[in-house]
Amino acid sequence: MKIEGEYLFAGPRQAVWELLSDPEALAAALPGTKRLNKLSATEYEGEMEVRIGPVGGSFTGKVIRSNEIPPESCTLTVEGRGAQGFAKGTGHIQLSEQADGTTLMKYTGDVQIGGKLAGVGQRMIDTVSKSLLKQALETLNQTLQARLAAATEGRAVETAPPSQAEFATAVAKDVLKTAAASPKSRWLVIAIGLVIAFVVIGLVLSRLGG
Amino acid sequence: MNKYIGQKIKRNEDPRLLTGQAMFVDDLDLPGMLHVAFLRSDYAHARLNRLDVSAARRRPGVVAVYTAEDLGDYWRPGPLNVPAPHAIKGTIFHRRTQVPLVKDKVRYLGEPIAMVIAESRYLAEDALTDIVVELDPLEAVADLEKALAPGAPLVHDDLDSNLAAHVVQEKGNYAEARQRADVVVRRRIVVDRGAAAAMENRGIVASWDARSQHLTVWDTTQAPIPIRNGLAGMLGLSEHQVRVIAPFIGGGFGPKIMMFMPEEILIPWVAIRLKRPIKWIEDRRENFLATSQERGQVHEAEIALTRDGKILGIKDVFLHDTGAYNPYGLTVPLNTQTHTTGPYDVPNHYTEFKVAFTNKMYVTPVRGAGRPQGVFVLERLMDAAAKELGLDPVEIRRRNLIPPDAFPYQQGIIGQDFIWQSYDSGNYPALLNKAVTAIGYERFVKEEQPRLRAAGKRVGIGLACFIESCGVGPYEGARITVEASGKVTLATGVGTQGQGHFTSLAQIVAEQLGVDVRDVHVITGDTAEFHWGTGTFASRGAVVAGNAVHAAASRVRSKILKLASQLLETPEEELELSNGQVRVADIPARSISLGELAIRANPMRGSVEPGTEPGLEATDYFGPKYGATASGVVAMIVEVDPETMLVEIKRLVVAHDCGTLLNPLIVDGQIHGGLSMGIGNAFYEQLIYDENAQLLNASLMDYLLPRSTDMPPDIEIIHQETPSPLNPLGTKGVGEAGAIPIPAVFVQAVENALAEPGLEILETPLSPNRLFELVQAARR
Repeated sequence: MKIEGEYLFAGPRQAVWELLSDPEALAAALPGTKRLNKLSATEYEGEMEVRIGPVGGSFTGKVIRSNEIPPESCTLTVEGRGAQGFAKGTGHIQLSEQADGTTLMKYTGDVQIGGKLAGVGQRMIDTVSKSLLKQALETLNQTLQARLAAATEGRAVETAPPSQAEFATAVAKDVLKTAAASPKSRWLVIAIGLVIAFVVIGLVLSRLGG
Repeated sequence: MNKYIGQKIKRNEDPRLLTGQAMFVDDLDLPGMLHVAFLRSDYAHARLNRLDVSAARRRPGVVAVYTAEDLGDYWRPGPLNVPAPHAIKGTIFHRRTQVPLVKDKVRYLGEPIAMVIAESRYLAEDALTDIVVELDPLEAVADLEKALAPGAPLVHDDLDSNLAAHVVQEKGNYAEARQRADVVVRRRIVVDRGAAAAMENRGIVASWDARSQHLTVWDTTQAPIPIRNGLAGMLGLSEHQVRVIAPFIGGGFGPKIMMFMPEEILIPWVAIRLKRPIKWIEDRRENFLATSQERGQVHEAEIALTRDGKILGIKDVFLHDTGAYNPYGLTVPLNTQTHTTGPYDVPNHYTEFKVAFTNKMYVTPVRGAGRPQGVFVLERLMDAAAKELGLDPVEIRRRNLIPPDAFPYQQGIIGQDFIWQSYDSGNYPALLNKAVTAIGYERFVKEEQPRLRAAGKRVGIGLACFIESCGVGPYEGARITVEASGKVTLATGVGTQGQGHFTSLAQIVAEQLGVDVRDVHVITGDTAEFHWGTGTFASRGAVVAGNAVHAAASRVRSKILKLASQLLETPEEELELSNGQVRVADIPARSISLGELAIRANPMRGSVEPGTEPGLEATDYFGPKYGATASGVVAMIVEVDPETMLVEIKRLVVAHDCGTLLNPLIVDGQIHGGLSMGIGNAFYEQLIYDENAQLLNASLMDYLLPRSTDMPPDIEIIHQETPSPLNPLGTKGVGEAGAIPIPAVFVQAVENALAEPGLEILETPLSPNRLFELVQAARR
């Protein structure tokens, strides 16, 4: 699977670079991350809970940064394994300063997946991974804003990453958008809508009960 | 006029099946039974570096965990079910059969690495997560054409390349025929993989009785006798210490033949070792990964013709994907070779194939078994030739059919039974006429299609001819016993997976013994009841087992007549068997029941004449000289939605000849089932592997099976009966018929409907997506 895209961070390149080098910020931006530990200057180890369609479970793995040219570019190699399969990918990130003081991030990557993740989760993985990436980048951008604001005001940083539920809802919305594009899968939209409705009703009921 | 054979008799087994009373392997629940889960590889090609099962062994509820090392001497590659065809000169065949558990290297996705035995399947599956396995991924061989390229990674490190086999056969002299040809049409044709997708997955229960030293195995197998014999040999037991029962099975379709798949070899071994019954039921995902699959060929084919459309010769050079192992020899590609000339008179035929090992599940016959590929290639060539010559697709076929007086016709190629393929009988022009008339070919092409097209509808028609080599040897047997109740028991060695054996075989007995079909109790698939024979495959049940039943029934009939003649003091010729009685033909009051005769045939006191066999019982066998050849013509009208590229089958006509019909209802059912499989192969069912040989649609969410609504509203079947001269009943097989011609007729009809200049469909399975791409490519 090929991944390619770009994202505009509302801040200077150096600040974006520092943000991307901070495991805590990264862990907070990726919902489901249970832990992310820095093993060395270029190596992280961690555990992440991922759900892709009917396939869900814990993945443990490593992230290795290489070819670093601060604050411009780097290569990330990710390897994760779990009971549900494995994922292995290489991505390249390129940061460029824009005239208006923002930073454009361009990324390209190639991901291999295997096991149940591939066999059963395949149909969802494209949408889910794009959605995951989009949200992670948005969260990182928010953290960036908070950091920049805190730096000017001289106070501590406070950002709230999205909760699991917020994340799940966002993924569901993205899946729905993809489905809505094809008229033949209108039933799917209706089905997902119904499921969301049930979840909401369930939540309300459980709160009333509690 | 037969009283029972050929009659539309409702199936004896259906009340049990429809009310949930039929026993399937998963229905077994034995005291103390343990359950199994397999750790399967997430990689298609990888080196096994480390395997640590100690934590899994410690989990409460886990009784045992086994790896390849734990199997000791029992670890060995499985048997070669079908040997190489050494009758074909120059054949190269490298035997590499599946291993029970991975020892050093994983060769396909889902290959079992370890097995956990626990108090429940839940616990066993949980314990899989305790196993530490380090697999070092290797570059996978995922593409059939790249598999044989120099420098490709090797599936089997001890071989020089991934070449598994190479076979060349020729009838006549193609090169010479090509020189004389007015027209030569050449095409590259691809048929991809699909699953057998039986409704019931595989399942095995094994139970060892230490006191009687007896092993019982319930197995979803199509061939219980070879499994019994094989297991006895592997386990060091006498064949009589092993009983294999194939109870009701929810569809076989090939992968349940005598496969000796890893689970089949391992579970009986564990049952003996632990002295507890062991159960394993395959789940659907395992079925996608760990049950054999088929199709997967790339053909470079050409046809040489005269200006008036007469075939001078066919040349076909193809690659066949056997996956990681080749336990079923060359049955599939040999079937392709014997079906690439179909019902046509082809004087010169050059056919060559190379088989490649790839890092995919191994390939063994799936309903059709190489035949659909041959028919697809041939019928596509015929269509391309018709276009080239400006001939009507029906007309070019008509001009080349083997005439009815040319039988037996030598096809000239050695087939899956290692005998020169010879067509026993048939009337192909009559079949073609029946199909053409029934679908109203002329009227559709001249009137309906122009009218519908003017109204904006993309409708099209297709017609394809095919043969089905079937009913191959070696032999089957049957034992028939008339009991004191007057009811009859028939035991035979073939397994049953829904074919209606309980009825069609009973009809053969009823015909000979004059009893009601419901009074014939049929036992199939239990080695304790009958232990000679091979199994249910190659569309051979009605031919080989059917004629064995006929032979045994005829012998019982002789015994009945001999004894009744003595007792009724009437010559045998004057006796008749009817309604469970033997009667004197002119004096119906003088009669004796079969039950009474059975009692008299088994005296408890006194003496009998020397040489007397007790009871009204006989065992007999039948083996044909060579396989029969069934035939058919299918015609289809489709409508394609140009926006979505969905195809609706409007009409489907099948003119079919499988010799003597035993039961038209059952034959229709076989054809219906085969058609749905063929429709799946044509438009829905494709196993999609990525470049790492990861299966991307290993679930029924993404692997599409045709649903009832994807079937045409009405299937019109016309039966023609040209009896086979090779067996007394005159029967031929029908089990695979429906699956064989559908991809060929489907793409022809779709092409005709879309009427896009330049659109030529040379591949299956299609899908709406793929069809859209092909149309776009044709417009560029």
